[in-house]
Amino acid sequence: MDNLFYAMIFIIFLTGFWIMLRQSNLIKKIIGMNIMESAIFLFLVAMGYVKEGSAPIATEANPGLAYVNPLPSALVLTGIVVSVSVTAFALGLTVRLYKHYGTMDVDEITRMRSEEL
Amino acid sequence: MITAHIMPLTILLPLVGAYLILLVGSKHRSFARNFGLLTTGITFAMVCYITYLVSNQGKMAYYLGGWAPPLGIELRADPITAFLLLTFAGVSFFVLLFAYDILPGEINGKVITRYYALYLVLLGSLLGIVLSNDFFNIYVFLEISSIAAAALVAVNGDKLAMEASIKYLVMSTLGSGTVLMGIAGLYMVTGYLSLDFLAGALPQAYASHPLTVLMTLGMLTVGIAVKAALFPLHVWLPDAHGSAPTSSSAILSGLVVKVYIAVLLKLLYRVFPLDFLAALPLQGSLLVMATLGIFIGSIMAIRQRDIKKMLAYSTVAQIGYVFLGIGLFSEKAMLGAVYHVFSHAVMKSMLFLSAGLLIKYSGKRTIADLSGLGRVYPIPMIAFSVGALSMVGVPPLAGFMSKWYLGLGALEANQLLFLLVLLLSSLLNGFYYMPIVIGGFFKKETVEIRQEKIPLGAQISLLVLIAATFFFGLFSNIPISFLTPTVQGIFSAFGGGI
Amino acid sequence: MSDIIVRVVTRLMIPYLQLYGLYIILYGHNSPGGGFAGGTVIASSLILYVLAFGIDDEDLRLSPSVARIIESCGALAYVGIGLGGILLGANFLSNKAAGFPLGIPGRVFSGGTIVLLTVSIGLKVASTMITLFTNIAEKEGEDES
Repeated sequence: MDNLFYAMIFIIFLTGFWIMLRQSNLIKKIIGMNIMESAIFLFLVAMGYVKEGSAPIATEANPGLAYVNPLPSALVLTGIVVSVSVTAFALGLTVRLYKHYGTMDVDEITRMRSEEL
Repeated sequence: MITAHIMPLTILLPLVGAYLILLVGSKHRSFARNFGLLTTGITFAMVCYITYLVSNQGKMAYYLGGWAPPLGIELRADPITAFLLLTFAGVSFFVLLFAYDILPGEINGKVITRYYALYLVLLGSLLGIVLSNDFFNIYVFLEISSIAAAALVAVNGDKLAMEASIKYLVMSTLGSGTVLMGIAGLYMVTGYLSLDFLAGALPQAYASHPLTVLMTLGMLTVGIAVKAALFPLHVWLPDAHGSAPTSSSAILSGLVVKVYIAVLLKLLYRVFPLDFLAALPLQGSLLVMATLGIFIGSIMAIRQRDIKKMLAYSTVAQIGYVFLGIGLFSEKAMLGAVYHVFSHAVMKSMLFLSAGLLIKYSGKRTIADLSGLGRVYPIPMIAFSVGALSMVGVPPLAGFMSKWYLGLGALEANQLLFLLVLLLSSLLNGFYYMPIVIGGFFKKETVEIRQEKIPLGAQISLLVLIAATFFFGLFSNIPISFLTPTVQGIFSAFGGGI
Repeated sequence: MSDIIVRVVTRLMIPYLQLYGLYIILYGHNSPGGGFAGGTVIASSLILYVLAFGIDDEDLRLSPSVARIIESCGALAYVGIGLGGILLGANFLSNKAAGFPLGIPGRVFSGGTIVLLTVSIGLKVASTMITLFTNIAEKEGEDES
């Protein structure tokens, strides 16, 4: 039962992956991207968790305390920063594309473009 | 002091330069151009110095913050790294020299400052990926490079480029998500992120969790393959590289795709033991995908009418060669792969730059409209021809040498089928490159051509790239003898090959 | 946007949000938190202001050009602190090894350069978030990154 959350994480990951590949709406694609990334972050956090561990900050009062592995958390933080900037950039592009084409649907955009040529 | 800290300083210089450009450049418009060129020039000089140091000392290591691995982050330079660094810094310097007078005419004046800043960030992240000896750092720089690359496609704000850019962004996020999952898996089974410690801990981890290790390797390889545009994961590449501004196309096709191959090299030859890899189905699938990529990329390139799209599909085919060299698991093939990373970077950036010039002066992007341009604009057309001949693999040029080593590698690995693949694909390359070269010099022009003076920077940059193609074809023994000991070391460390 | 409840509540909340953000930044080395988290909180307070009072209120919000300058300065400060390690004879980003005083654990000014690093990250993150937001929200947004 201890490994049940890995299965859950895998399901979330695949959900995001599927949304990203199958949906043609750009906003939905971006949402899928975020779902996929949250699954990875959950995986990292779950990996570094130590039962009843505290924050990894050594103080004089409790030098030998069990603490949560800080490295996966650092990876998660980096990942979140990256994911925020990718999301913002993708949203910015989507807004601009919407201005040009009046739609957020990739298939629709491809169709309009091929008609233009 | 510089000597001891040369590696972090080389990564930092372009990054600091980018922020200085953003800070000062919004007020003074020409600052970005001059300072950007200066920064890449100094970076190139520093990379040359690193290469010199590596050729004397063999290996260099640097601990960030003074913390030794596995606690701290390590930067590492060995001959292969130095060779790749030299390629990246050199080509990006000459692309920027080319862009000095061309770029202002090509993109909106308001975004020039930002373009240069993005370019320098991209360069810094490329150097960072190559130098890092730690998956954490590699991941961070990988993400920086993919955002900067997507932004370099869209920077001009035209519709096609933005659509290509968002496609590129989505695909490369898929790739980096998969890579991060793979890195997390590696960390879970071994507890390390440093490449050396991972290599030490993996055999034991494989004994206890074989399935997790396999899945991790698969995820990392697939993620990298998406970013490096290995067939059939290349769908984003032709649009992105075909619709970007000239200098972006040159650096994206020449360098950015290659850096992921550098990561794959680190992963396959530094982390996973070779005898372990040989027991997996990885080799077969890499070779099949590479071969398919070579053929389908070339066939798609033949079908294109737009010259930049054609060059982009040709990149898909050329990436196939590099993966072929990696997948053959032999000493000579690996030398060929590394050498092809270099020679393709030089050739493809030269092709994109000269094609950009020809498009600019003829006003047309279709291949048929390029006829006769060689008589009016000899330098870009000669550069294009040299690049094209080198792509096909005509003897004294750099492209021939990389194919030569790939062929030797196929012989060494006893995979004669791939010799045939190399020969046939060279023929296919000839099919789509030769008509342009012949038409450019001998056919009558179909469109009215503006007679303009080519800017000096562009001329110098193209001439240097032509010279490099000849030089590294004729004197390939210099880099090869520089690389051989390291490659031999990799293969002899695991009981003399497979 | 003339909802009085939103405006009043926003006005009440913003100072506390910013104070909380500053706290997270300054105590990043003593407790969970740090530059990124704190910077995001500060940025969200400013974004909240824009959402409540409209983007056209030019007088009070942080203008994009200023945000861009702060962003560059934050990044350069981080590198500068890292280079300090080299200048003092140790490696890049060295802390104790370069002779920075570590202070008493638990105090604000302890941990050598870490406080300075988190502050510069906080500045950078807050201003970047604002730049990103205004870029997307404005009518003629320029593309970002």
